[in-house]
Amino acid sequence: MTTVICGRARVLGADINTDVNCSSKYMPGKDAAFVATCAFEQIAPGFAQAFKKGDVIVAGKHFGINSSREQAVHVMRLMGVSGIVAVSFGRQFFRNAINNGLPVIECDIDGIADKDAIEVDLAAGRVSVAARGIVRSVPPLPPEIQAILAASGLIPFLQKHPDWKLV
Amino acid sequence: MGSTIAEKILGAHAGGTAARAGEVVVASVDFAMVHDARAANALEVIGKFGARSLPFAAKTAFVLDHYSPPPNAEAANTHTAMREFAERHGTVLYDVGDGICHQVLPEGGHLTCGDLVAGTDTHCTTYGAFNAFGTGVEGTDVSAVMMTGRLWFRVPETIQVELRGELQPGVWAKDVTLHMLGRLGAEGANYRVLEYGGSAVGAMAIDDRMTLCNHAAELGAKAAILEADAKTFAWLKAHGAREPRPVKADADAIYAQRIDIDASQLPPQVARRHQIDDVVGVPEVKGRKINIALIGTCTNGRLDDIRQAAAILKGRRIAKGVRMIVTPASRQVYLAAAREGLIEALTMAGASVEAAGCGTCVNITGHLISGDNEVVISSANRNFKGRLGNSSSEIWIGSAATVAASALTGSITDPRDVEGGQWRAVV
Ligand code: SF4
Repeated sequence: MTTVICGRARVLGADINTDVNCSSKYMPGKDAAFVATCAFEQIAPGFAQAFKKGDVIVAGKHFGINSSREQAVHVMRLMGVSGIVAVSFGRQFFRNAINNGLPVIECDIDGIADKDAIEVDLAAGRVSVAARGIVRSVPPLPPEIQAILAASGLIPFLQKHPDWKLV
Repeated sequence: MGSTIAEKILGAHAGGTAARAGEVVVASVDFAMVHDARAANALEVIGKFGARSLPFAAKTAFVLDHYSPPPNAEAANTHTAMREFAERHGTVLYDVGDGICHQVLPEGGHLTCGDLVAGTDTHCTTYGAFNAFGTGVEGTDVSAVMMTGRLWFRVPETIQVELRGELQPGVWAKDVTLHMLGRLGAEGANYRVLEYGGSAVGAMAIDDRMTLCNHAAELGAKAAILEADAKTFAWLKAHGAREPRPVKADADAIYAQRIDIDASQLPPQVARRHQIDDVVGVPEVKGRKINIALIGTCTNGRLDDIRQAAAILKGRRIAKGVRMIVTPASRQVYLAAAREGLIEALTMAGASVEAAGCGTCVNITGHLISGDNEVVISSANRNFKGRLGNSSSEIWIGSAATVAASALTGSITDPRDVEGGQWRAVV
């Protein structure tokens, strides 16, 4: 994984409950591949269809709230989400994203519009939308978390580093 | 610069002194838990490792509580897989009917003061009643713990909550947590730890302290922690826990927020339909008709809850047309309630008592599907629309005292207004 993500911003609102929108919890019997085709439909019709591999989800506060289910992250990986920039994250969702190699960055999203080209530098701690003159610095992800992301998730990380030597 | 309880516990488990809020640490876990609703995911993650050894699997409990009894073949097969895994790896197994994870872990003596416990459930915050840092994680996390005994944690900020005075008779820890939900909003403590203290906490029995910490999950808290006292030590000893390593916060610890509540002024609280943070005092909604009354779950299915219900209902009948279900949180709670005659008293009053487990907390077993427009009053912790399998019905949430008083009259009732509603736990 590179530490710089470039993609299209796909904007969602605040308090996005990924249990409802993006895991199989409320679609019993449906697998992640199916859910990926209709994720976020209830709050943003057509979102999943128009989503392109490499796009970055941009959202308000508490993204991933309620979701203790890792399936929500599996679904986003299947959609091709390259990273999520949100004002804040639901606690367990944040863990699940990192454990499954999906970069999550807390940042003010004011002024970022749907389909803007966005760049996220994980190591430097910077979110920018050049077309709008937005350059925001955020605390960089701790090196430990970057190490897990670089390995594409906790399990592959531990396969390489069973001693947990993070940095 | 002083430290909070959370900073000290996480720091000590990461091999140092206190860690600082915001830091990421890799900490040794004392005990882990996986319940049946998340086991399939955990077993799948472990499967990805191939035949790696799982040295920490013996310090992990598998609890068959959500699908209890299993409502379909898939759940039954998950149970089979869990039993086989436990047999092979020496994992502690709590089978169907043994009880809810958050009750059987403390009862089984698996945790003590100062411990770090990770389990696949948001209500792992309950273990904070014993001065342990208990937190909810997912399958990948517990798999990592079973492999290595360790896990990464971001050290959380802490909110200090001072509960001054003493709760009135008929008012419970449940009412405090509902009040907190009304005040901070659901997820209002997202990512933070709640450190509760003050005279009202000191006066609470262990059962009520568990409720206080359990319900922190609805506030989004990563953990909730109390200091230990003589009651804590006596309880842990009686349940065969390891030697406690009590942890206190420093006087100059840094808190993200301080909240001060005069417990003596608090009336019983209810969360109105569909929304756990739409909270009002019972006096404001009393008289609202109810159809179904539920006592149970990891929040309020303990012995003191059942004792309180029996204090209200013994020798009486629940209102005509009302259905009442009581689900003890564990087999031990069930047995104690049976020995005290509480099961008989409640059954004679018209309640049905179910085998221990998550019961009717959520529509998993299909045991209780409410009819259209029916109103449920429950001692559970969540009341999302449709949680009991019918989005045309409503779930209101209150203490076991409020639920029992409401079952008696057939409408939402302040327990302080009925005989027995002012019962107090003997501590
Ligand atoms: S009782 Fe309810 S909230 Fe508690 S662990 Fe079981 S299902 Fe979850």
